[in-house]
Amino acid sequence: MTGERPLTLVLLEMTLLVLLGPLVTGTIQKLKALLQCRQGAGILQPYHDIIKLLRKGTVQADTTSGFFRSIPVVVLAATVAAGALVPVVRAGPPAFPLGDALMLLGLLALARFLTAVGAFDAGGAFGGMGASREMTIAPLVEPVLMMVVFSTAVAAGTTELGALAAHRGASWIFAWRAADFLGFAAMLVLLPAETGRIPVDNPDTHLELTMLHEGMLLEHSGPGLGCMMLASHTRQIVTLGLVSALFFPVGLADGAGVTGLLLGAGAFAAKILVLATWLALVESSYAKLRFFRVPQYLGIGFVCALTALALRIL
Amino acid sequence: MAETLLWVLPLVPTVTALLMLTTRDRRILSAIDVGSSAVLFALTLVLAREVATGGPQALGVLRVDDLGLVFLLLLVVLTLAVSIYTVGWLRQAVEVGNMKAESLRSYFALVHAFVATMVVTVLADNLGVLWIAMEGTTITSAVLIGYHGHQHGLEAAWKYIIVTTIGISFGLFGTVLVYAAATDVMGGAGAMSWSAIMKVAPTLDPGIIRIGFIFVMVGYGTKAGLAPMHLWLPDAHSQAPTPVSTLLSGILIKCALLAIIRFQTIAAAACGPAFPAEVLLVFGLTSVVVATPFILVQQNIKRLLGYHSIEHVGIVALGLGFGGSVGTYGALLHVVNHGITKALAFFAAGTAIARYGSRDMHVIRGLFAVAPIGATLLMLAALSLAGMAPFSIFMSELMVLRAGIGHGHWVAIAIFLAMVVVIFAGLLHHVGAMVFGEPTAAAGREAEAWSPLLGMLLLAAIMVLLGLTIPASFDGILQRATEVVVG
Amino acid sequence: MTPETVQTIIDDLGALLLFTMILIIAARQISNAIHAVAAQSLLIAIAGAVLATATGNADLWVIAGVTLTIKAIVLPWVLHWVVRRLNVRREIEPVIAISATLALAVVVVVMSFHLSASLGTVRQAITGNALPVGIALTLLGVLVMATRKTALTQMVGLFASENGIFFTAMAVTQGMPFIIEIGVILDVILAALVMTIMVLRVRSTVDADIADLDRLRG
Repeated sequence: MTGERPLTLVLLEMTLLVLLGPLVTGTIQKLKALLQCRQGAGILQPYHDIIKLLRKGTVQADTTSGFFRSIPVVVLAATVAAGALVPVVRAGPPAFPLGDALMLLGLLALARFLTAVGAFDAGGAFGGMGASREMTIAPLVEPVLMMVVFSTAVAAGTTELGALAAHRGASWIFAWRAADFLGFAAMLVLLPAETGRIPVDNPDTHLELTMLHEGMLLEHSGPGLGCMMLASHTRQIVTLGLVSALFFPVGLADGAGVTGLLLGAGAFAAKILVLATWLALVESSYAKLRFFRVPQYLGIGFVCALTALALRIL
Repeated sequence: MAETLLWVLPLVPTVTALLMLTTRDRRILSAIDVGSSAVLFALTLVLAREVATGGPQALGVLRVDDLGLVFLLLLVVLTLAVSIYTVGWLRQAVEVGNMKAESLRSYFALVHAFVATMVVTVLADNLGVLWIAMEGTTITSAVLIGYHGHQHGLEAAWKYIIVTTIGISFGLFGTVLVYAAATDVMGGAGAMSWSAIMKVAPTLDPGIIRIGFIFVMVGYGTKAGLAPMHLWLPDAHSQAPTPVSTLLSGILIKCALLAIIRFQTIAAAACGPAFPAEVLLVFGLTSVVVATPFILVQQNIKRLLGYHSIEHVGIVALGLGFGGSVGTYGALLHVVNHGITKALAFFAAGTAIARYGSRDMHVIRGLFAVAPIGATLLMLAALSLAGMAPFSIFMSELMVLRAGIGHGHWVAIAIFLAMVVVIFAGLLHHVGAMVFGEPTAAAGREAEAWSPLLGMLLLAAIMVLLGLTIPASFDGILQRATEVVVG
Repeated sequence: MTPETVQTIIDDLGALLLFTMILIIAARQISNAIHAVAAQSLLIAIAGAVLATATGNADLWVIAGVTLTIKAIVLPWVLHWVVRRLNVRREIEPVIAISATLALAVVVVVMSFHLSASLGTVRQAITGNALPVGIALTLLGVLVMATRKTALTQMVGLFASENGIFFTAMAVTQGMPFIIEIGVILDVILAALVMTIMVLRVRSTVDADIADLDRLRG
């Protein structure tokens, strides 16, 4: 059922990922607060928010259909399934058949699509606008992600993340080729777009001017909203895990030994922490771009990814 | 002895440029100017005799063979003529206020620095030095183009420096490629030297040379004013002060052509002569075709002459493209003829502009009535530029035509002839309107200054002479130069 | 340093150079473009130093040093000074939209790779990807010069183009003869100075950017 990977390991990695997601968000919030010379909320605040939401009742607009109630669950399921494909502590075969990097991107795209559908379903202005903006960004982001994956995959001959990580091996920085610099640059440009952070979107407010992701969540409430927020935390950590698997897969364990697994978990946490710090720094240094400028900003990522692919193939 | 002369030649204008900075008196400056040009001319004649008897001379990165000698002779004759012309022209310009008396010394210094860089371009054997000198000409001439200081001049100078620097970057790129190909074969020693590369040219990688030649063609072609890289030329040549325009149109674009010819010989040896010939044909024909309509609709006389330069550079490229001894001889002869004639035309136009205070051809009318000698010379220059016998340009254009017919390029010949006829008509119409008829109110009635006339008469004499017959020694130089190109 | 290591490093530097070039093309503010070209010159200097250690060619050290001081420090500082002094408008005006320019840039990069693939034998064992990157940089510098209306950005494009030619020369032939490289750098400095003077001159007479003047027509 789970290919060549033992079920326990798969469940362990998935749970670890989902549980760590809100912690990453909390860390980024705390770092931003410290950089802005204020105390800020605690690192565990996102957990409190989700638990609070799970205990509340649901309010649903009259204009929504029956499908609306299932959207948060399906979105969370898709995102968590994508999480199963990220090599967290161990390189190796994927968690389920056909589970390679493309499937991961496809699952994330599915989650995004369903979120937008839910926002449209309610028929409100904010939801519609947020969804249309998100869908404008999506065709600029997803092909670039695919090109980066391809440029790394061409060298390894496979798109399975575990195999990619193993191919790159432990000497990651010396194994970087010219194309990897550009691919990494493209990913860095894309990270704020994928995770919904400045300079593409402002995750802290629900103002009309800054809404991409938040606008789509307005109609959800109670446990549904809790699921959507957990899904966005998981999406963030999945994207960060993708970047670390593609570009610096240090510390992934080979066997099933306990020390190896602990080391792998520690390495994963360290890598995620570095990328989270980067995101916090970027958020604190720049202002949000006007929406019409975002395609140009993403265009930089596009050109970098295309050049990386060209450098690989030609 | 000739070797040291090679190094003295660029030094003369350099030292002159520095000398110019020491004084402010206009008369002394003009005297140094004329004197230095005369010395340069004399030294070149000595060098020419050395080359005639002893073959090409070389020392370090400089080398002179008959091909370079052709261009060098043109350069020094024009420099001398310009110096003589400037004496009278400058006096009038300072009176009117076009040139400021305080900044005259920097003007003269820049002109001589400009001449020095051009001398190095013509004498350079090392392709890198050729490039550096070419960029040097760009920098000095850009400052000169904007010398009057008003807005149009600065705009022209900016366009000039940007476009030609882009072009020259391409030229440097092509040079690097040729150098790389040569290093492959020869190792690093001397791989920048044209004469050394020519010895091993048949063994060079044709693919690299092909691409390198195209880059060089686009790059140095921009400097030469070949279409479609010519957009800077009408502005720059029309906005510059007249003596500077003369140097630009008369010799600078020819120096760029010399650079192209040097690379053409390498390419012909490496890839076969058909490839560079085709490239030259395309650019040459495009230049001739593009320049023609603009000549017809011009109102500014110096712009008209600028577009004419584009056309004639195109004819030179056509001659080189048709190839063979006749085509190449005709092209080289055309270089000299056009240089002399264009200089004469610019001189005549310059005095007319000074007299009428305007560049607009509608304002300049009835020149014959107020300045008969100047008007005659202007008419002669225009007739010559249009290609009429018995002037020099007729001879060289005829040779180019013969080469084209001989090699069977019927389409190119047909287009060329059509354009030439159209230009003939247009030019005669424009200049005829300027020379004949009643003088307009703006005409100044003063007597004609002698020094510009002297300069013009000198050039006119050479022009007529070359139209009637080519002196034996000069013919010898041209023939040997053709051999250098054709192999 | 083994040839493979040198080749890897040159390849990596080439990728970073392309990245800075993309930043120059996508820059909306002049100061960003100037910073990017300064970073680019710095990378060129590093490449020169690497090649110098690999081939033992002492001239390359000097070239690297000169590139570092002049093109990475002095010239960008001069440009920044002009921006501050003239109170030039900080936005870069493109002739075609920036996204279109980026698309053209991609086409140019792909073309450069095709072009260099046909120059098979010139790719020495030590230089790998450097030739196509050099061609791409040169052409992209020209692209910037041709598609921007601000005088200072045109100068930035000129510097980037010269960087590209330098990189090609350094990588393909382990540098041109020393005197040539010095001459080229000198020329670039002089050209930059003359252009700066012209920009200042026009600014003082007409309150416009020199690259905007377009009265001469026909």
